[in-house]
Amino acid sequence: MTTEASPTHPPEGNRIPMSATSFTVPFDPERPDLTADTDIQNEIFIQVFNSGDGELFNRLYLDDSVSNFSGEPLTGADRLAFFKEFLASKPTLKASVTHSYVAGDVALIGVEYSIDTTGPDGEPVLLEGVCTDVLRKTDDGRWLMAIDRPVAATGLVAD
Amino acid sequence: MSEIVAELENHTARYVEAVNAGDYETVEKFYTADAVAVWEPGKPLSGDERRKYQREFLEAGPRMAAKPRQVFVTGETALMIVDWTIDITGADGTTDHLAGVGVDVLTRGEDGVWRYAIDDPYGQAS
Repeated sequence: MTTEASPTHPPEGNRIPMSATSFTVPFDPERPDLTADTDIQNEIFIQVFNSGDGELFNRLYLDDSVSNFSGEPLTGADRLAFFKEFLASKPTLKASVTHSYVAGDVALIGVEYSIDTTGPDGEPVLLEGVCTDVLRKTDDGRWLMAIDRPVAATGLVAD
Repeated sequence: MSEIVAELENHTARYVEAVNAGDYETVEKFYTADAVAVWEPGKPLSGDERRKYQREFLEAGPRMAAKPRQVFVTGETALMIVDWTIDITGADGTTDHLAGVGVDVLTRGEDGVWRYAIDDPYGQAS
């Protein structure tokens, strides 16, 4: 699966970061929004993850959100540091939504994921499992990640 | 943070008490107005459908036990992973034993009360 699209060319004077130009889904790094649409949520998540830009990926999360991606609950600067380190080698994420429930301004999404990455000695490592994501709607109507909780079948992110 | 976790674990314990008392009015107070419950896998219920199912389920006299396995809290949002069992004894004396690992999303209202927004009792395989 490829998530790269042909670069678009924003008009002069309206430059947006290069990393944002390769997305095939509507995504504004200055005003990140996973949207209320489950398929768009998943596609944004995949494409931003696969950009390898941990700072950009961190913008999909609320400031005080909790990510268990590392195997322990991380928030704030610790979460950002982990994302930058983990995404630096440009691992490739594939994910498909298994279920999605929305109740007012909160949503629960289940996904099956696989991540192709590299180990400390450069060897290929495959991480696979299921992940529970909780999204919240912000006061200005955007949807962002509040809590993620992967349960790995293989790989580093254990139950 | 640990105080909130304790509060949420207590929330589960009080919910179980209300279920075991068959007290629909109290159980209903544990849910947000637009809560979604998935008591049958793949069949999310909300609004009056959820309330009707809850009421009928309690009339069958379920006996529930539940123990939170993990609690994650951020701001006004919480995710709880809960091991639970429910026994329901039918009129013929036979008992149905239900068990699962629930995935519960709770939100804290403006009144400071945590309530279930999404109740997915079979949300995790094991």
